[in-house]
Parts: sequence; C-alpha cells; structure tokens
Amino acid sequence: MSSKKVAAEVVTDESYAKHEKIYPRQVHGLFATFRVLGIFILLGGYYIAPWLQWDGHQAILFDLPARKFYIFSLTFWPQDFIYLAVLLIIAALALFFFTALAGRLWCGYACPQTVWTEVFLWIERKVEGSRNQQIKLDKSPLTKFKFLRKALKHSLWILLSLWTGFTFVGYFTPILELGVKFVQLNLGPWETFWIFFYGFATYGNAGWMREQVCIYMCPYARFQSAMFDNDTLVISYDEARGEPRGSRKRNVASESVGLGDCVDCTLCVQVCPTGIDIRQGMQYQCIGCAACIDVCNQVMDKMGYRKNLVRYTTLNAMDGGKTKIFRPRIIIYFLLLLGITSALIYSMAIRIPLELDIIRDRNALYRETNEGLIENIYTIKVINMDLQPHQYILTVSGIEGMKVINKVPEIKVNSGEVLDFPISIQVDPVNLKKTTQKLKFDLISTTNPKLHVEESGRFIGPLIR
Amino acid sequence: MSGQDNNEYDAKQIPTVQKVIAVLWPSFLTAGVATILFFAYFDPQLLMQISGYGNISRMAGYTIGFFLFWLLTSVTCVISCYFQRPCEKDKH
Ligand code: SF4
Ligand code: SF4
Repeated sequence: MSSKKVAAEVVTDESYAKHEKIYPRQVHGLFATFRVLGIFILLGGYYIAPWLQWDGHQAILFDLPARKFYIFSLTFWPQDFIYLAVLLIIAALALFFFTALAGRLWCGYACPQTVWTEVFLWIERKVEGSRNQQIKLDKSPLTKFKFLRKALKHSLWILLSLWTGFTFVGYFTPILELGVKFVQLNLGPWETFWIFFYGFATYGNAGWMREQVCIYMCPYARFQSAMFDNDTLVISYDEARGEPRGSRKRNVASESVGLGDCVDCTLCVQVCPTGIDIRQGMQYQCIGCAACIDVCNQVMDKMGYRKNLVRYTTLNAMDGGKTKIFRPRIIIYFLLLLGITSALIYSMAIRIPLELDIIRDRNALYRETNEGLIENIYTIKVINMDLQPHQYILTVSGIEGMKVINKVPEIKVNSGEVLDFPISIQVDPVNLKKTTQKLKFDLISTTNPKLHVEESGRFIGPLIR
Repeated sequence: MSGQDNNEYDAKQIPTVQKVIAVLWPSFLTAGVATILFFAYFDPQLLMQISGYGNISRMAGYTIGFFLFWLLTSVTCVISCYFQRPCEKDKH
C-alpha cells in the first residue's frame, strides 16, 4: 500500500527533474558545408519566396481569405483539393523512398527543425561564444555581463522568430499588404495572432526544445526505422577499427600501443546536437547530421590515421558484404512515386479551369404546367477558374422534344467568379420513357472552345408503368 | 508486486515534457488535418451566415475552427493517456 504512495511521489519528483541542456560544439567539414548550403537555399527560399510577384499577383500565395491558391500561373480552388491531397501523398512517398535509400537525410539537412535550430545555434555562438564559454556562462552567477548576453541572445531569437512568423502569414495573405499594415501598425487581430503563434513556435522549438522535438515529438523519427534495411545509408562508428579506444600521443601508430584508432577524445559526443555517443551503436536519437563524421575526420587527420572511423555506411557493408542499391523496396517506392507524379502532372495538364454544377430544385420533384408538360427546375452554377473572363453557351440534351427555358441570355463570368442561375426544362409526358431520365449538360466557352465541360443530371417525371 | 515496480519504472521513464507533448502534439497535427479538410469543403463565412451567427472574417473562421478542432482532439488525447495508465490494483 505504501509502495503506491512512493510511486506517486516518484512521479512528482520526476516532473521537476531538469532536462540537461546540450551544447553542441561547432564543427567544420564537408558535411557541415553541405548543411550550411542547405540552410541558405531552404531558408533563403522561405524568406524570399512570398515577396516574388508573378503576372500581377504574388507568385506563391495560399490566399486563405479569398479561398484561392496561386502557384505561379496556376490558380487552385477548393474544388481542386484533390491535387493537394495527391501532392501530400507524393511528399510522403518521397520521404519513404529517400529514407529507405539514404536514411535520415531529411532530418540532418532539410527538416525545418534542424535548419532553424542551426540558425539559432549560430546566433547563440555569436553572442555567448564557443561551447566551453557557453557552459561557463550558464554555470556562473547572474552578473550584469551574463544578463546582457542572455538578453541580447533572446532578443535576437525573438526578432528572427517574429520575422519568421510574419513570413509564414505572408504565404496565406498577400505579403505586400501585410507589410504595409505592419509598417502602419495596423495588422488585423487574426494576422497578429498567427504571426505570434508561429513566431512563438519557432522560438520555442529552435531555441528551447531543439533535440527534444526530434526525440519526443517527431512521428517520423519514431517510424523511420521501419523503412530501414541492411542496405540503408546510416552513420556508424567502425567498432572493429576503433576499439580498444584510448588516448595516446600524436602520430603514434595504433598497433604499437595496442589500441584501436579511436583516441577517445569525445569530440564526436561534444558536436552531437542530440547529445549521444555514436560509438555506442545505432540509436534512434541520431538525426544523421554527420557532425560526428566531420569532427572525427579532423581528429584522424591530426593523428595521421585514415579517415572515416565514423562514416556513412550500410549494415551490409559493415558486415563485409556489398551494398545493394536496387532492391525490391526501393524499386516499388520509385515506381509508385513515378506513377503518381506522372498522373498528377497529366491531370493538371488536362485540367479545365471551368466548373459546372447542376443542382436540382429540392422543393418539388416535378411540376405539371398548364399545357400539360412536365417541368423540372435546376440551379446551374458556373465557376470560371481561368485567369480571363469568358462567355459560355449551355446546351442540354437527353430527352426528345425537350424545352429549355433559360432566363439568363448571356452566361458571362469574370475570372475567379461564380455565377448561378435557374433554368427550367419542360418535357411532353409522351416522350418520357422512364420515371427518371438522364440529361447531359454541356457548357462551352465561346472565346475558347477548349473550355468545355460536361455534367449529367436527372429529369424526374411521374411514375410510368 | 512486480506490477508495482513496473509502474514506478514507467513513471520514471517518461519525462513530463513527453507527457505534455503526447497530448498537445498529436492533437495539434490531427486538428491541422481536420481544419484543412473541413475548410476545403466549407467556407466559414457562408457557414456562419447560413446558421445565422452573423458575419465573421474568413481568417477568424479558420482560426476559431482550428482551435475548436484542437480542443476536441486534445481532449481525446488526454482521455487516451488516462486510459493508458494501469488500472488500480485491488487493495489487498
Ligand atoms: S571523434 Fe573519433 S576519435 Fe574522437 S572519440 Fe569520437 S570516434 Fe573516437
Ligand atoms: S550521432 Fe553523429 S550523426 Fe547522429 S546526431 Fe549525433 S552527431 Fe549527428
């Protein structure tokens, strides 16, 4: 009984247990260069893209207030949601494909979490100095110097975060207007809210949470191992070559002191953004950033040893086998990816920027006119998704001798607008073969005959025996 | 007895951040998906007009919609987490 109480206390104690801050040491080298390059391309793209203009509108704009998405010369409507869904499926498949092929490439080089954390780390280093200086500063009592450093760091982080939030909102409402409103201090409440929300998320995730996002929050980090096989590229320490580890003087051959090549300098642990020791084998916390490769290679150079004690390799290669690139799983992912991508491109290429909706009058199935004809009423909805205004002709077919009464002589719709109008269809009962008959509605643009859509509708008459 | 030890072990294993994240984060993701799906088909402005709640801006509609979804999904997550705890043992 009392042990239950103990358990409860353990929980509370644990709630206050502090998370150990990780101070990744700065690293230079081939892969660090790749990462910096990636950061420039990705973040540069992120911050610049919403400012680009195209054909008189923002080049990339997911205009939520207007419910329209612009991507260069393409305009998407809520009706085109399927494209977005397919795009997301493609993105997921691409992630599977690259994971099976090259492991956590995404995590180490392209994930926004990694990319923004790197920038935040860079600011931290500029303000607080190197890893050792940072540790010392954090241990020291609160002095004016420490306070100023911390205040400066957080101010810079917050500024960058708010700019990030502003840019984010700029993808969803026109950024030029947003900029003007911002300068005039006249931002709407919802825009302000989302700028702060996204800014806060950036500040929290890249400034405070960091590797904990990867370890506790990222679903991908949890399931990516399911996509690994023995031929997937991983970062690994060559245990056979490195052990037994131990320190020694420079340029001493390992064999002469009876040691492996690892000099146990722990630099690989110090550079690791998730604070793990790669020498303990593959761990799910490893985000594949290759910082440990870069730093260990420097050590090996200094010692005059061969490089690549820590390296990109595969489980097969480490066991002395050959790495197979083309294996069934890769081929299947690739074919799926290719198939869905081509289908998407094809369907976008033949997509007709015109939509026709036929809505039957809900109040009455049919009506008999004074002349004894059977009448059905429809609402016709025409959506012009093209960038030009158009005029259209509507024709209806399907029943012999039918009369189409359309009070709107001209179907003229401006770009991006919707027109709806009622039409009535009257049929002589002798021509009705069935209670429900199919109708075909054809809408064609007079200015561009390629803009032609077909819809089917139903004509309902009295019961026919 | 060993069950008790196990509970203690589990509680020790899971840091508070992870517990908070386990509720707020999956619910955030699903709320995001729900918001996108829902508003791809329904225009918040029209919805409000039809249901007679007056005029709101679309941004307001999306935002409120998102947070309502998030509230709902996080309640679900809290309940899941609660049910995941081992059932209370008999007193003897
Ligand atoms: S950096 Fe290389 S040599 Fe240094 S401890 Fe790590 S594996 Fe060993
Ligand atoms: S173990 Fe190496 S590759 Fe993995 S996260 Fe740490 S430094 Fe990066």
